[in-house]
Amino acid sequence: MTSPDPLPRDPAPAAPLPAGSRGTAKPDVKRSSLTKWWRRALTIRDHPSWLEGALLALASILAVYFFWWFLTRPGHRIVDVYTLPSPGDTLASFRSLWFERELSISAVTSLARVLGGFLAAAAVAVPLGAIAGSFLRVNAFLKPVSVFGRNIPIAALIPLTLIWFGLGEIQKVMFIFLASVAFVLFDTTNAVLAVPGRYLDTSYTLGVRGTPKKGAILAALFSLVYGLVAAFGWHLLAENRSTLTAALSSSALWLRFLAGFLIGFVLWFPIHSHQALRKVLLPLALPDIFNSLRLIFGLAFGYIMLAEVINARHGLGALIIISQRQGPREHIYLCLIIISLLAWGIDRFLLYLHRHLFPYLKHG
Amino acid sequence: MAKPELAPGEPPSALSAVEPPAPGAPLVVDFRRVTKTYAAGTLKAFTAIRDVTFAVEDKADIGEFIGILGPSGCGKSTVLRLIAGLAPQFPATSGEVLVHGRPVVEPGPDRGFVFQDYANFPNRTVLENVAFGLECRHVPEDERHAQAREWIAKVGLDPAKDAHKYPHQLSGGMNQRVAIARSLIMHPKIILMDEPFGALDPTTRHRMQDLLVSLWRELEATVFFVTHDVPEAVYLGDRIFLFSQSPGTIAHQFHVAPPDRPARDMQSEAHFLDSVREVRTVLDKLEVEEDARHAS
Repeated sequence: MTSPDPLPRDPAPAAPLPAGSRGTAKPDVKRSSLTKWWRRALTIRDHPSWLEGALLALASILAVYFFWWFLTRPGHRIVDVYTLPSPGDTLASFRSLWFERELSISAVTSLARVLGGFLAAAAVAVPLGAIAGSFLRVNAFLKPVSVFGRNIPIAALIPLTLIWFGLGEIQKVMFIFLASVAFVLFDTTNAVLAVPGRYLDTSYTLGVRGTPKKGAILAALFSLVYGLVAAFGWHLLAENRSTLTAALSSSALWLRFLAGFLIGFVLWFPIHSHQALRKVLLPLALPDIFNSLRLIFGLAFGYIMLAEVINARHGLGALIIISQRQGPREHIYLCLIIISLLAWGIDRFLLYLHRHLFPYLKHG
Repeated sequence: MAKPELAPGEPPSALSAVEPPAPGAPLVVDFRRVTKTYAAGTLKAFTAIRDVTFAVEDKADIGEFIGILGPSGCGKSTVLRLIAGLAPQFPATSGEVLVHGRPVVEPGPDRGFVFQDYANFPNRTVLENVAFGLECRHVPEDERHAQAREWIAKVGLDPAKDAHKYPHQLSGGMNQRVAIARSLIMHPKIILMDEPFGALDPTTRHRMQDLLVSLWRELEATVFFVTHDVPEAVYLGDRIFLFSQSPGTIAHQFHVAPPDRPARDMQSEAHFLDSVREVRTVLDKLEVEEDARHAS
């Protein structure tokens, strides 16, 4: 180099490195595979292989099982049998849980209650959220309700719902509805607000417009479903329900139908009558909405146990309270395991559904 | 014939002065002392453009291509969005924006817009994206899909292979082709392009420039094309607006003779490079003046 170099340089150029080595790292030919594995395990964010992951998960389950077994070793019990039954006894009690306590009926009952309340909440709060996320004055109007609804202690709703809806199924469904509706509204509003403005700008320059006539027809079809569900769904859940023919001649059923129809129309007309909402904002926000519904469903599935502790013949919550009062205690532990497995299974299923409903998303 | 052809003896891409349109001539776009101030009357008041005045003549069957150059944040995009009628730039604080002699009221498909980040709907396939405008107009499915396939081919994509892909499966250049097809299928009289090729690599960029020139023949539309790239503006433009900074206003206009060769060849020609240098000199001078104004 002939040009003058203002920077101070090393007095002597470093000796060329031997081929195959970089910096201080030495070739790890001589290391045992265990040391190599240990080095990888200590590397931040180094991914384990599929098999390693599965083995580690299995090890975790075995560790818990061993700890449980250790506490309840026959002959050397550390915890008395009344507080903690042994894992063997617990698993063996599955027969009586399934046949005598009718586990499957309880599981289906719990699921049906959650699903009913949750779907009702989604049916109201998803369209309402789409409207609030599009028309910000509606959002400003609904904000206090949503803040209030999300910060209310959910368990405190139980006594209120008992006063309002009695001791029957309607109370349990309405409890789930009230517990989840504000969360669905909030998340849907945010999902719609999060759709980037450039999609809206693009759709404006491509000529999206208002379609009040088509919107009215579509909204009327949707509201018909709302009316029918409000009329007959309530009838089916009612405790001392009359025959269908008697119900059909009662004015209460038709009032409920009318109310459901009106609510459905008010919720869906603004969406169906604007192409920008129907074709752009709602479809683009849908993956996010679905994802938050999945999370809220998980919460609702936990809440139902609260409601089932009171005056329920079936349901997973009822099973636990019955086991606590009448025994066997093993059923409590078994129910907890089954509930968490069920919740996990539902979550996985919804995640699977998400991938198939929205194939255009890049799934990592 | 939609694009002015090169006159015999005229060197391609030569620059010349712009003559004002003849009085009484029909105008495509007419800006009359347009000013846009955000948060007017507060401490945060910011004037994006001030007293922008220009007119683009409506020549029968000839679309004019207007390249808009200038430093970042000088209100180039504001001009486009005012023509399109997109908030919050629209409406202007003062002055008049006329399109075909009438004030702009709202956005519409007569003024197509192509954004830098394509904004293709991720939940729609290429076919459904391109057909979106026709779908909004309630064109029957068979017909709108047939038209969309035609346009997919016109912008250089393969209707058989690409029509059912989703935007996330396409490269940047392909996505921008979809966005262009989606806009042009509506046959807009005005096309607004906001740095459409800004995110593309140079090779793709040249190919897209050629595509735009070739589509020209049947467009018969006026194009406003915002860019940072001086050669791009000189190559594509029939006219170049040079914006000065904050508040933005048109400092210079040039007429540019049309190109006669593909982008890659043309953009290494001596004539072409002379024109580019000339535009750059003016731009640099604007910036020096700007700095001097800030310093004082």
